[in-house]
Amino acid sequence: MSVAELEAREVGLEGPSSGLWSEAWRRLRHNPSAIVGFVMVGTFVFVALFAPLIATHDPLEQDLSLLNGGCCPGPSAEHWFGVDALGRDLFSRVVYGARYSLLIGVVSVAVGLSIGLLIGAIAGYAGGWVDSLLMRLMDIMLSIPGLLLAIGIVAALGPGLVQIMIAVGVTQIPIFARLLRGSILATKETDYILAARSVGIRGRVILSSHVIPNSISPVIVQGTLALATAIIDVAGLGFLGLGPQDPSTPEWGTMLTDTTRYLQTAPFLALIPGAAIVISVLGFNLIGDGLREALDPRFRGRA
Amino acid sequence: MLRYVVRRLLLLIPILFGLSILVFFWVRALPGSPISSILGERATPALIQQYKERYGLDEPIYKQYVKQLRAWSHADFGTSIATHRTITYEIKQRFPATVELAVAAMIFAISIGLPLGFFAAKKYGGLFDHASLFISLIGISIPVFFLAIILKYIFAVRLGWLPTVGRQSVLIETEHPTNFYILDAIITRDWAALWDAIRHLILPAIALGSIPLAIITRITRASVLDVQNEDYVRTARAKGLAPITVDQRHVLRNAMLPITTIIGLQVGLLLSGAVLTETVFAWPGIGSWLRDAIFNRDYPVIQGGILFVALIFVLVNLIVDISYAIINPRIRYS
Amino acid sequence: MRGIALKAILALAACAVLVVTLGNSSGSKASSTLIFAGAADPTYLDPALASDGETFRVTEQMYEGLVALKPGTTKVIPKLALKWKSANRGKTWTFWLRHGVKFHDGTPFNAAAVCANFNRWYNWSGAFQDPSATFYYQAIYGGFKHNEVSGLQPPLYRSCAAKGQYKAIVKLRKASGTFFPSLVIAPFSMQSPTAMRKYGADQGELRNGTFRATGSYAFEHPTGTGPFKFKSWTIGQKVEIVRNDKYWGQKAKLSRVIIQPISDSTARLQALQNHDVNAYDLAAPQDIPTLSGNSSLKVIKRPAFNVAYVTIHQGSGPMKELKVRQAVAYGLNRKGVVNQFYYGTGKVAQEFMPPSLYGYAKKVQTYAYNPTKAKQLLNSSSCHVPCHIDFWYPTAVSRPYMPDPVRNFQGFQASLENSGFSVTPHSAPWRPTYVAKVNEGSAGDLNLIGWTGDYADPDNFVGTFFNQTTANAQFGFSNASINSLLLKAKNEANFAKRVALYQKLNQQLMKYLPGVPYAHATPALGAEKRVHNLIATPVGGVWFQYATVG
Repeated sequence: MSVAELEAREVGLEGPSSGLWSEAWRRLRHNPSAIVGFVMVGTFVFVALFAPLIATHDPLEQDLSLLNGGCCPGPSAEHWFGVDALGRDLFSRVVYGARYSLLIGVVSVAVGLSIGLLIGAIAGYAGGWVDSLLMRLMDIMLSIPGLLLAIGIVAALGPGLVQIMIAVGVTQIPIFARLLRGSILATKETDYILAARSVGIRGRVILSSHVIPNSISPVIVQGTLALATAIIDVAGLGFLGLGPQDPSTPEWGTMLTDTTRYLQTAPFLALIPGAAIVISVLGFNLIGDGLREALDPRFRGRA
Repeated sequence: MLRYVVRRLLLLIPILFGLSILVFFWVRALPGSPISSILGERATPALIQQYKERYGLDEPIYKQYVKQLRAWSHADFGTSIATHRTITYEIKQRFPATVELAVAAMIFAISIGLPLGFFAAKKYGGLFDHASLFISLIGISIPVFFLAIILKYIFAVRLGWLPTVGRQSVLIETEHPTNFYILDAIITRDWAALWDAIRHLILPAIALGSIPLAIITRITRASVLDVQNEDYVRTARAKGLAPITVDQRHVLRNAMLPITTIIGLQVGLLLSGAVLTETVFAWPGIGSWLRDAIFNRDYPVIQGGILFVALIFVLVNLIVDISYAIINPRIRYS
Repeated sequence: MRGIALKAILALAACAVLVVTLGNSSGSKASSTLIFAGAADPTYLDPALASDGETFRVTEQMYEGLVALKPGTTKVIPKLALKWKSANRGKTWTFWLRHGVKFHDGTPFNAAAVCANFNRWYNWSGAFQDPSATFYYQAIYGGFKHNEVSGLQPPLYRSCAAKGQYKAIVKLRKASGTFFPSLVIAPFSMQSPTAMRKYGADQGELRNGTFRATGSYAFEHPTGTGPFKFKSWTIGQKVEIVRNDKYWGQKAKLSRVIIQPISDSTARLQALQNHDVNAYDLAAPQDIPTLSGNSSLKVIKRPAFNVAYVTIHQGSGPMKELKVRQAVAYGLNRKGVVNQFYYGTGKVAQEFMPPSLYGYAKKVQTYAYNPTKAKQLLNSSSCHVPCHIDFWYPTAVSRPYMPDPVRNFQGFQASLENSGFSVTPHSAPWRPTYVAKVNEGSAGDLNLIGWTGDYADPDNFVGTFFNQTTANAQFGFSNASINSLLLKAKNEANFAKRVALYQKLNQQLMKYLPGVPYAHATPALGAEKRVHNLIATPVGGVWFQYATVG
């Protein structure tokens, strides 16, 4: 145990007690919306992870003979969700699509979160002109509405799966940066931090034992919501034709582009991948919302 | 107060400057040249070289930037390659369309979101609360273009109640002094045109409005919950005032305040959502214009359009910030 | 509170009912109006300044040229000129004009008007000499009276003289085989000199590198001689044209046509399904089964006037050898690809121009899919099995001649691999890099590309592909025999001789195999069943003159 930690312990300044987390968890467990969310996300992650075991066919395999009557035969015993315009099993494509969506969501948010938190931490802690400069940069990024910024980045990088992940990730940076900076600034001013400082505890200790734990909850909430937004934004980019260039990729957003023209004859082609997007995104939103309520100190002591 | 406004205005300058540099270099970072886009298979290397000279793309980059700044200062945003019309002209035509759509979307979102959030707060923890939360969350969980497609499919294609595309039926003849179709119809007292404009506006407004709907519902609910437990509300109740009066006089009024703060954010979401919604409904606004331009590599349009959108966004946020500072004096001194 | 909620719900329901019952759901009830959806707004209604099909679709109803293509075919027929003769080895052309024709503004159409049009084009200066302004004029006639821009060719046109009311004599500086066939296209329509003068048709400027017409002629006063005349243009929304009751020929049956731009093809389809429009252009091939399957809609097909082909670049790889090129031809399963990925709208191409065009050779060397033969050829060449090649294809695009490039590529890749090749795939987005790469020859040994004809002349196909510059750049070869034949045919003024020359050229091309043509596609229109006699022309236009609705 280092001196610093001993010091922190002595003055009784520890991170938020485990009481906050367990209470939050209890509230979350009793929130029906959040439970539904967990079920949805759980299913989504399960399907994504075990896709090869769940899918009934190869998502890329084309069986053009099924299309002899034009597009497209609907759900049947052989093909649970029917078959798409190139004779591929829709159920398997949707199942594998979960992988892409999960991957895209996680990577984009990881990019946005890591860079954003770094910038936010530097700005919040350093203060002064560094803070001003970084926040002005964030303002400039925020002055272009999210989707347009993502479109702009993809236009410059060229279309493709990796590029849209980067683009969507970049649009998340200012949000996380602002979040952490705000948290740091708020915590900096609180009485107990001032007290700790006056006692002589070093900045780094304060950062790790107080600022960061207190900022984690909004970051977790925002992270969950960011995952939801990322999946939607990527679908939007795919819809505009900026997504993975290989149209055989079973990504849900791109699947929506190809199939909107069949709404009158084969609506399930669009409705099913669309429903998949809605369910997974809704799941994350429900969890994020539930988390926000559970971790909100204002609601402490209430039912 | 004045000092705050001045401070915010001054902050605007580096932001605009940074934005102009960002957009300028970004457009030039886009791969390829506009010529090959227009001419397609007909683009011979000789022709491409000719065009390069025309656009001054051969000059050093700082010279191009200065030339561009000078042009912008004259409010010359360039000419569209595809349509040969000035960007300013296109914006004048298309911006009212997007504004009309955005306003309609907000009206829809507020008129449904406000009562929904209010009642959800009133019946906190109950079934209505959870159900309304669920519904509003679906609003932000459906990709806006997917919702647009579904609405279009159900109400236009399948049921045939509403039109599929555009702002106005091509069979209607009206004057458009303001380019806000509903306003124009009222001004010229053309009631058939008014009905027609409203019918075309409904589906896109609902699709676009689904995003702010969710947010407004939740913010209203949260702020009503907050205000309800404030002391002055409890006092009012203790005084013996009827619940309705308490609600109207204190709760509602104070709960509305936070909503104004999120309007700035909403504008950004609406502009993003407009790109997708306008594409699905062939709505002739800024969103579909930008989408087509990016697809066709119409560089002047992309540059001028994005700059314009960012400008609007920044200005709206500025106005919102200043008006909030007027309402809430504590903000000015932070 | 509950009371208010209930009232609100009732009010909303009432509104919904009103909206539904009072609204019209169908587009055109009157049978004398046709609403047509195109993909984009016109640029100008002065066709001399435009190069896009959307503009031409509108102007072709209002303007006419000296000659025209018989609707739906590529046969040249008299229009404003009744008779014509070429003399002096194709350098002098005499046109005898139709009598009693008036422009929409009442001024007479005569020889003076014809010369006024030709001279207008020739005398263009300043901004009008920019390729973004007068693309087609420059493509056919080269340059102007005073070339002010570098890179302009010397002018083909010399002069025009009006002999009396109805005889115009056009003199060219040298013989040209393309002059006469090009007179059918929209940019060379006859426009009213009076109107052009009055409304500033020659006012324009170059702004930020793009041409802009600044007079009001191109926006509000287009004046031609056609069966329809201009009514209004709400930019971005619709163009409205009405029947010309003083038309010299068969009057239109429709009293009015409205052309509306809808850029998304699915939105166009849905507009038709919803009967918001009566017909639309550029139907996506995947929608054709949907249209055919709908009991109130139909598909109107165009005669094919395009060609999709596989470029063979002879630069540095194995393609220099004829045997290897022949192996490629035998190794491409063209029939399979066309059958599977053209949704019934394509047929296999055996030559580099469509069969409907004169100059198409009756018999050429054909190359049916034969993997065995391909392997044999390879093994007897310097590139033994497996012969490694780079094959490029475009992404993010659908062209009229190649609706599904990616699938085409995948089909070809599989059949080539079957035939002794080892294919390395490469792709680039159509916009902005693919075409440039193909044109400059940096798109591998093989690549997919195509062409839609502008006007009915073989030079617009084989001349565009195999002229010396392009042959060198795109295909990486230089063949004196092909080149000289091409030039001879281009400049031959005698029609019968020209046809024979082009036929010979096509036979040579299919022996030499600079590439392998593989499909002619028929881009289609979607329409309501009650629309009759709507004719789609091969070069991409539409005729409303004979159409009726209901």
